[in-house]
Amino acid sequence: MLMCIVDVSLEARNEPAMISRAGSRWGLVLIALSLAGCGKEARTLTADLPQTPPHGRDDPRIPKYQNNAYQIAQGGRYFGWYGCGDCHAAGASGVLDLGDGRWRHGSSFDQVYRVIAHGHPGELAHYGDRIPTEQLWQVTAYVRNLPQVPTDKRRRQDHDAQGEPTGGTWSGAKR
Amino acid sequence: MRRGLAFLLLLGGCAGQQTPLAPGGEQAASLFTLFGLMMAVTSVFYVLVLGFLGWAAWRARGHWSRGAAPVVEPDDVGLSRSLVVWAALIIAGLFLLVGGSFVAERALASARAREALQVSVTGHQWWWRIQYRDPATGAVVETANELHLPVGRTARIELGAADVIHSFWVPNLSGKLDMIPGRANSVDITPRQLGWFRGQCAEFCGAQHAHMAFSVKVDTPAEFAAWLAAQARPAATPADAAAARGQRVVVGGQCAMCHVIRGTAAGGRAGPDLTHIGSRRTLAAGTLVNTRGGMQGWIAHPQAIKPGTMMPPVALDPADADAVSRYLESLK
Repeated sequence: MLMCIVDVSLEARNEPAMISRAGSRWGLVLIALSLAGCGKEARTLTADLPQTPPHGRDDPRIPKYQNNAYQIAQGGRYFGWYGCGDCHAAGASGVLDLGDGRWRHGSSFDQVYRVIAHGHPGELAHYGDRIPTEQLWQVTAYVRNLPQVPTDKRRRQDHDAQGEPTGGTWSGAKR
Repeated sequence: MRRGLAFLLLLGGCAGQQTPLAPGGEQAASLFTLFGLMMAVTSVFYVLVLGFLGWAAWRARGHWSRGAAPVVEPDDVGLSRSLVVWAALIIAGLFLLVGGSFVAERALASARAREALQVSVTGHQWWWRIQYRDPATGAVVETANELHLPVGRTARIELGAADVIHSFWVPNLSGKLDMIPGRANSVDITPRQLGWFRGQCAEFCGAQHAHMAFSVKVDTPAEFAAWLAAQARPAATPADAAAARGQRVVVGGQCAMCHVIRGTAAGGRAGPDLTHIGSRRTLAAGTLVNTRGGMQGWIAHPQAIKPGTMMPPVALDPADADAVSRYLESLK
C-alpha cells in the first residue's frame, strides 16, 4: 500500500506546480497515516509478561493484548500449535464456531480466558495448567478477535500457517 | 605497533569454527579458491589503477599554475594504443573471473550426481529442526540445533521453513542457501575435516535472528553411525528419584505441549525434540552452553535470555526446577 501512495505522490510531480505541491502534501499525509497503523504491530520484547489471569474486565493489561496485531497473531500460532483448530476450525458449527460472535459464557476478556483455561469439557478441562499464562492471554485475544476476521482472511491465515506444527503432528515444511 | 597488532587480531578472525576462509569441506574449498582468484584479479587492477593515477598526478604537477587556460592537446598515438591495451586487459580479467566462476559452479554441481546422505533441515523462529532417516528402519530420526555429518560422504540437505524465510549457512563447509516457506531447496555438503563448526541463520528472520545458530559436528563414519543409532533410540528411563520427579513435571506439565520426548507421553511438535537434549552442546539454538544452570535459567526466564522467543517462562518451584534440569541432563 505504501508503494502505491509513493507512486501517486511521484506522479503528481509531473502536473503543474500548484497541483504538484498539493499532491505531494496529500502523499505525505497518507504516508504518515499508513505509518500510524504500524503502532498496532508494536511488540514488547521484555521479560515482563503476565504471570496471572486477568483480574476482571477492566484489567489494565487487556488493551495491550486485545488491541495489538502482533499479540493476536501470536495467539493464532498457539491456537494452531496446541490443536485448538482440530475442533474449532474455520468451518466449525454450533458451539464450536468461535467466529459467530455469540459468546455463551460471556464476551469479556476475563470470561473468555476462563473458558479457555478451565471451561473445556472432560479431558480437555486442564488447558489452564498446561498452557503458560502469557500464551493464554494471546490465545484469548486471538479468539475474541475471530468474529472480526472475514472468512477469506481466515482462509489465507490458515494457508500461511500450513508449514507450522499442529497439535501432536508436524508433517514437514509445505513445498 | 598498535596498528600491526590490530591487523593481526583481524587475521585471527580468519581461523576458527565459523569462517569461509578456513574451508573444511569440498564445496567451501571451491568457493574459497574462487574467492582467492577474485581477490588476485581485482587486486592487480586496483594496484594498476592507483599506479596510473599516481603517475598522472606526478606528470601533471608542473601544469598546476593558477589561471592557465585549458589546452587541447594534439592526438597522441601512444595514448590511443595504450587505451586499447588497457581495454584488452580488462576484458581478459573479466574472462578470468567468468572462467573461474564457471569452474567453481561445476565443482559445486558435481556433487549432485553422487549418492548422498539425506538430511532435512527446517527453519523455525528461532531454531533448526533436523531430521535423518534411520538406515535400519527407515523411520525419521529427529533432533534440533545440532547437525552431525560423516566425513568424506556427501550429505544432501533439504531445506524448508515453517514460518518465514531463513537461510542455512555453515561457512566452513559450504555457501549459504535460503530456506523459503513453500519451496524446496537443497544444498550438498561434502565435509573433509573432522571437528566442530558453527552454522548461523543468514537471512533476517525476526527479533532473535542473531540467536539462531547451530553446531555442526563432522564425525568419522563409525562415530556417525553410532551417534545416529543413539539418537534413534527412545529417551532413557530416569535413573534416580530426582530424575523421575523431573520426568513427571515435564510430561505432565507445560513442557509437553510443545516438546516431544520419545518414549514418554510428551508429544508436542511445536518446539525442539528433547529426547536426547542432554547430548547436545548448546541450548536455545546456540545461545547458551548446555549446563544444568543454563537449563534452569532458560526454563525460568527465556524472555530475559532471548526476548521474543516462542519459549514461554515456566514457573517451577526450586525443587521441581532442579529435578527437571537433572532429568533433561540425563537424556543423553
